[in-house]
This record gives sequence, C-alpha cells and structure tokens, in this order.
Amino acid sequence: MTTNKDEYQLEIELIRSTTGCDLIAVALVDNAENQFELKWKYASGNLNNRFKQIVLQSGRGVAGIVFKTGKPLLLESISESVENENLFNYPILTFEKLESIGALPLWHEGRVAGVLLGGFREDRMMTEKLLHHMLEMIEQGIGNLDGKEWVLVDGYKEKPIEFLNDENV
Amino acid sequence: MATKKNQLNSLMMKTYENSTEAIFFFDIEGKAIAINPAAEKIVDPEVLKQLLQGAEQALCQSCRGYTSDTDLHTCLNCYLSSSHPDDFSSFQVYLETKDKGVVPYTATFHTVDFENGVRVFMLRNMTKQFKTQERLYQNRMMKHVIEAQENERKRISRELHDGVAQELLSALVDIRGMKYMPSKEEILKKMKQTEVTMTRLLDDIRNLSVELRPAALDDLGLEAAFRSHFKRIEKSYGLSVEFRSDISKKRYGSEIETVVYRVCQEALLNAIKYAQVEVVKVFLFEEGNTLQLIVQDEGIGFKLVDKPLGTGLGLFGMRERSEIVYGDFDVTSGISKGTRVRLKVPVGDLRKEG
Ligand SMILES: Nc1ncnc2c1ncn2[C@@H]1O[C@H](COP(=O)(O)OP(=O)(O)OP(=O)(O)O)[C@@H](O)[C@H]1O
Ligand SMILES: [Mg+2]
Repeated sequence: MTTNKDEYQLEIELIRSTTGCDLIAVALVDNAENQFELKWKYASGNLNNRFKQIVLQSGRGVAGIVFKTGKPLLLESISESVENENLFNYPILTFEKLESIGALPLWHEGRVAGVLLGGFREDRMMTEKLLHHMLEMIEQGIGNLDGKEWVLVDGYKEKPIEFLNDENV
Repeated sequence: MATKKNQLNSLMMKTYENSTEAIFFFDIEGKAIAINPAAEKIVDPEVLKQLLQGAEQALCQSCRGYTSDTDLHTCLNCYLSSSHPDDFSSFQVYLETKDKGVVPYTATFHTVDFENGVRVFMLRNMTKQFKTQERLYQNRMMKHVIEAQENERKRISRELHDGVAQELLSALVDIRGMKYMPSKEEILKKMKQTEVTMTRLLDDIRNLSVELRPAALDDLGLEAAFRSHFKRIEKSYGLSVEFRSDISKKRYGSEIETVVYRVCQEALLNAIKYAQVEVVKVFLFEEGNTLQLIVQDEGIGFKLVDKPLGTGLGLFGMRERSEIVYGDFDVTSGISKGTRVRLKVPVGDLRKEG
C-alpha cells in the first residue's frame, strides 16, 4: 500500500519532470493540537529543508496569499515585482534562491486545503502557459485532496481563472 | 584718493565698533592687540584681561574646540598655533560665552598684516542657522514618522478588512446554510469546516494583537516577552535567535521595557531583512546600574554613511526611543563584518522606577 506521503512525493516528482521546474513544493494545513498550521510539507528539487520549518500565516507570503484568496499567483520576475526590502516576507524565495514562480491553490471539498508551488532559479521561466499546464495536472486532485472547487448541489459552473500578480503582493 | 581712503578708514572703524561679529587682532606672539565690543560681550572679563596681557593660551579657557574633518570638537592642530594657517579661512568653533553657555561660531583666522604677522580672528554666531537646520531636519523626520504610522494603520485596517471580516463572513454564510441542510451528516461536515475557519480567525486576531502590543510585555516582563517574540520570529521567518539573558523575571519601568523591546524588535527585523544570516544573537543583562541590550549578527554588514536600502527610519527611531529613557544607543557595522546594535539604559537606584 502506498502511503499518503509517497503519493504526494511521486506526484510532485512527476510535475517537476514534466514542467522542468527547479522546485516543486506542496504546502498543507497541519491539524496539530487544534491549531491549523499551514506548512510546506513536500518538496522536490529543494536546496535544503529550511523553508519547511516556517509556519505560514494566512494572507502572508506566497502560500499564505494563495491559500487565503484561493487564486493562482504568478510572479514571472521576482527581482522586478518584489522589492528587495520586502523579500524577507517570502522566505521560500530567498531560502531557495527562486527568481520566477507560480503557485496554485489545492482544493478539497470546495475549500482551499493547500498550495502547490512551482519555481525556477532563473528569471522569467514561469509563464502563464506553464502555470495553466500545472493546473491541468492537478485538476483531478493531488495526494488525498479531491481537487474539487465546487461542491454545490445546483451543479458545476466553469469559472474563468483570475490571476494574482504583483499588485496583490 | 585720500578722501576715499579716509572714508574707508572710518567705515572700517565703524565696522569694528558696531559689527555683530566678534573681532580679535593678535600680534605675532599671540597677544591680543585689539578686541571689539562684540567680542567683549561674549568673552568672560577675566579671560579678556589675560588676552590683552598676552597670557599664553588665554583663549583656551573659553574655547571648547573646533570642528575638523574628523571630529566635531577637537583641539588637535589648534587654529591658534597651527602651522598651516590657510586651513582656517573658515571653520566652526565652540566658545564658552559669558552668559549663554557654549555657543557654536563660524570663524575665520588669517593674517592681515604680513610684515608684522598680525592676524585677525572673527566669529559669527551660528546658533540661529543651527536651529533652522535642526528644525528642517526634524520636520523631515516627522513627516517620515507620520507616513510610517499611516502605513502601519493601513496595514492593520487591511488585515482587519481582508482577513478578519472576510473569514467571519464565510463562517456566517456556513452557519446560515446549515439551516437548510437535510442530513445530520452534512451539517456535521459543515460544522467541522466552520470550526476550522473560526480557529484560524482566532489565530489571526491573536497575531494582530500581539503585533500591536504584546500582552506578555505588560504581564510578564521583558525576558518572557522576548522569548515569545523570538519564537514567533523563528516560526515566521525561519531564523533562529540565540538569546541569553540574566535579568530573569525582573521588572523595570514600563517606559524602559517598551523602549528595550521595540529597539530589539527593529534591530532583529533589520537582521532578517538585510544581514543574510540564519542566526542572530541577542543579549540582555545588567551591568553597573545599566540595563543592556545587544543584538548582533555576523552577516553582510553595511557602512553607516551609505544610503540605506530601505527608509533609514529604523535606526533613527531606535535612537529617538533610547533618548526618552536617557539611554545610550550605538550601532557598529562594517561590510562583511556583521552588525551590532547596543542599547544601555540607566536603571536601578539612580532613577526612580515606575
Ligand atoms: N543587520 C544589518 N545588516 C546589514 N545591513 C543593515 C542591518 N541593519 C541595517 N542595515 C542597513 O542600514 C539601513 C538602515 O536601517 P534602518 O533600520 O534605519 O532603515 P530600514 O530598515 O531601511 O527601514 P525601516 O526600518 O523603516 O523599515 C538599511 O536600509 C540597511 O541598508
Ligand atoms: Mg529597519
């Protein structure tokens, strides 16, 4: 039997090899001691594990923003869109020396349950097209998450994807 | 021609008598030959007498040093005896005056009679210019401070609006929806989700409140407040703080505690933002009636005179805060030498606590 852990790891390895990303990481909500902590849980291509120690606050940092808004985030050029003195608010970018990233909400039963991040250590490598491609790969869910954004009884409604960009950072 | 010269002579005499500038003539030996009324007004009568007698270093009794390239007040290479008199065509000097304490002057000191080696020393009071300059500087800083305050409010307001209000609304929608749910199972599931939302909301509010002012600081004192602050820093920024303190649960005046806490917070944030380190050291201890705080990193450092990467308001604010509690604040840093911020605040028997 494959465990949850193996499943996530296998899936993100696959996403990394198909997209060519330098780093793929998954942040999930940790249900520890009745505190719902968001943390980077799985990674492929990471330089070290320092970023896994960080507890992400909703609405702050890459994962926090995507988690809270439920919208994809695209930063094609970090050096252009994030001011140097604000970079410390995005530890994963500095710790992993990322220059270009995209992040997607991971849905489960109509709620955001986690965040998927794809990043490059080179400028302008992450594009809208590539992010769409990543989105297609996780539409059926990832790990034990079902990927369902809508669970309404009145039926499924296609929703245009809104991208977050620099202005929301 | 002669009348013109006469006119000039009389004008020069009037200038000497009525000028607001203090004028001293010194002969080749350094004895004062003449001192105008403006000068008499500022110099102590005893010093005046000695000056006229030519007592050696009579002026030194009033002089509090001049500003050189390297020092604000120095006696090194004194203008009176300097072997390079040209360097003193215009400089700044501090004199102890008869009735106004130490006053800054713009001075010139140069030879006017080359045959006999007579030199003139002229002083213009700079207090007013200094005050204007200072006021300009304070105005500018005040604007920065107000702007920073406004930005902080914007951030809190946004957090309340986008964070707290948003989550509360979503919980409310969930609860409303429950009324129409047919099965108990569905209701339970919804309730579980609402619980998650509420827990997160509680966390957000707690964080916001601690950021505004940590309750631990008022209830438990500096050491405890520091420990929980560092824990939060480690959690949010992945930077570890090596903390050593010997004050234990000791309490100080709330003003002092606030200043020490805020200075530490700012200095630590600077290290997170700029130093490029994984560890920062913080020391908190008492030494001979002073409470000392040291925040030290072994990061990339910076030159104090360089243009700041950010606003440069942080260090200014730390110094301002320190002054409120008569503290002594200093920063040492150098490129790739790391940075150390130190604050010494007088505490104990000398000052009344509370
Ligand atoms: N620990 C440090 N390591 C390296 N550089 C530092 C450190 N602390 C300060 N600096 C440098 O000194 C400058 C001034 O710091 P200061 O705290 O006064 O302002 P700031 O951090 O830029 O702005 P603010 O504090 O208002 O956010 C910084 O911009 C940075 O260049
Ligand atoms: Mg600062």
